Amino acid sequence: MTTATLTTPLPALDHGHAGLANQVRSEWTKLRSVRSTWICLIIVFVAGIGLSALVSNIEAGHWNHLGLAERASFDPVRFSQTGSFLSQFVVGVLGALVITSEYATGSIRTTLAITSKRTTVLAAKLLVIGVVVFVVAEVTAFASFFIGQAVLLAHGAKALPAGSSILTQVHSSAIPYVSLADGGALRAVFLSGTYLLLLALLACAIGFVIRHTAGAIAAFVGILLVLPLIVSVLPSSVAQSFEKYLPSNLGLAMTLVTTRKTEFAGVLFTPWTATCLLVVYAAAAMALAGWLLVRRDA
Amino acid sequence: MISASRLTKSYGPTRAVDALTFEVRPGVVTGFLGPNGSGKSTTMRMVMGLDHPDSGAVTIGGQRFHDLRWPLREIGALLEAKAIHPGRSAHDHLLAMAQTNSIPKPRVDEVLGLVGLDSVARRKAGKFSLGMSQRLGIASALLGDPGVLLFDEPINGLDPEGILWVRNLLKSLAAEGRTIFVSSHLMSEMALTATDLVVIGRGRLIADTTVDDFIASNTEATVLVRSPGADRLAVALRAAGAGVRSREAGALLVTGLDASRIGDVALTEGLALHELSPVQASLEEVFMELTSDMVDFHGQTPVEVGA
Repeated sequence: MTTATLTTPLPALDHGHAGLANQVRSEWTKLRSVRSTWICLIIVFVAGIGLSALVSNIEAGHWNHLGLAERASFDPVRFSQTGSFLSQFVVGVLGALVITSEYATGSIRTTLAITSKRTTVLAAKLLVIGVVVFVVAEVTAFASFFIGQAVLLAHGAKALPAGSSILTQVHSSAIPYVSLADGGALRAVFLSGTYLLLLALLACAIGFVIRHTAGAIAAFVGILLVLPLIVSVLPSSVAQSFEKYLPSNLGLAMTLVTTRKTEFAGVLFTPWTATCLLVVYAAAAMALAGWLLVRRDA
Repeated sequence: MISASRLTKSYGPTRAVDALTFEVRPGVVTGFLGPNGSGKSTTMRMVMGLDHPDSGAVTIGGQRFHDLRWPLREIGALLEAKAIHPGRSAHDHLLAMAQTNSIPKPRVDEVLGLVGLDSVARRKAGKFSLGMSQRLGIASALLGDPGVLLFDEPINGLDPEGILWVRNLLKSLAAEGRTIFVSSHLMSEMALTATDLVVIGRGRLIADTTVDDFIASNTEATVLVRSPGADRLAVALRAAGAGVRSREAGALLVTGLDASRIGDVALTEGLALHELSPVQASLEEVFMELTSDMVDFHGQTPVEVGA
């Protein structure tokens, strides 16, 4: 082994400082260089289009056995977004892992010992995981939508008559399918992807706060699955005033095509209100994450 | 240059670092010694801005860590060798680090070559041995070509060839004018590598000096004497005012008299000498004695802090 001496000195940088752009590049390198990222993203996409095709096929096959009320709540958009029931947990795991894997291995101390501003690390991680999840989730949401409609069409579905909306489909005797131009469809599909984005950010922020993979994922799953169960044992009048604030129900509200009188009438917020509320939740978690990150020892 | 000034840090009721003041100068290797739990790692984490001191401050070239504009270009550190995502390749690990400080990509391959990991650069770091991980940690410390380098136990897990390599690397980095601060529990290794020493126990400074002064000022000069008439010689030497301990049959350890005086005494007694050699106390012996005194004096075991 040679007595190593650094032969080429690194040219000095006299201007600027290590900033967000540097950290974003670094976080992207970290994200793309581990296999779990790609596994999670592939699951999101495959589950999205697969469940859309499967559920749309089953629902269309049952059309003839459906009563009038059931036909009235037949929602071609929602069927196509079934995959998000699974994907919400996958993006949660991905969002949490981005930071908790660094705490698990101790590499968080490397990350923080080469950056003078800790909030830059938080911002870069949220930015990178946010953009990646948003792109994949939106591509998946729209691909699932078109595949779902194609499956319905293969079962002989009819387009809604011009001038009608999904609200009036109840009068149709044929299986309905919708286009993005139909009322609320574009919004629902877009917000379906947005829901996954906000959950990934929420999970990442939870990861910064809890700093353990298992703990962060348990908290995230608890919020989506256990919180609704707890609320459900409350007296129904109390439960009703809380239910609509649950993140899982905000997600449902975001992807509803209509606010017509259905099982959800009055129970849920409107899609945009629900979106804003979930943004507030994620922002609050991010603020807490930043506050703790700066103050705690690494 | 690293300057710590009354650096203090407690974890709950445990005072890990207590009003620690020291300076690490450029151009030489400075060893950082202390028993387990004495606060070495905590001190190093505070230098790197990872732990916040309760009071006091530590600066790197006059600046606090959080004021450095390009931290990786100012100070490089090997704190925990295994602190790498096991599924990420050595190359990608270093690339992600380089990008945070606008360090050009070719530099990654250069430091990988420097530590001898170029052939495994694309392999997952999780498959690395401890020795390979240490080399990767050293590569990451060198990535930004920094003027100040911190190494926490850099030779753990290295084979003899690797230990020699690290020793030479540290010395040549110091010879280039860099500030090199190395912690180790292997005192014998520090005796070979370091010029300066910062010694702590229970979070307090014991010594901030050179290796030579540290040994000289903490040991009595001892001379090893072998003689067929050791018993008679011992009596005569004690009479001359020396402290005499018997090491084994025919061998004495003498303090308080230098070798020439001992020779004179032997001549006067008409005794043959088979050996007359000054004994250099090892850094390890001095260190053990100092720190064990400390622990005994306080009557309790220092608490392990951090990992």
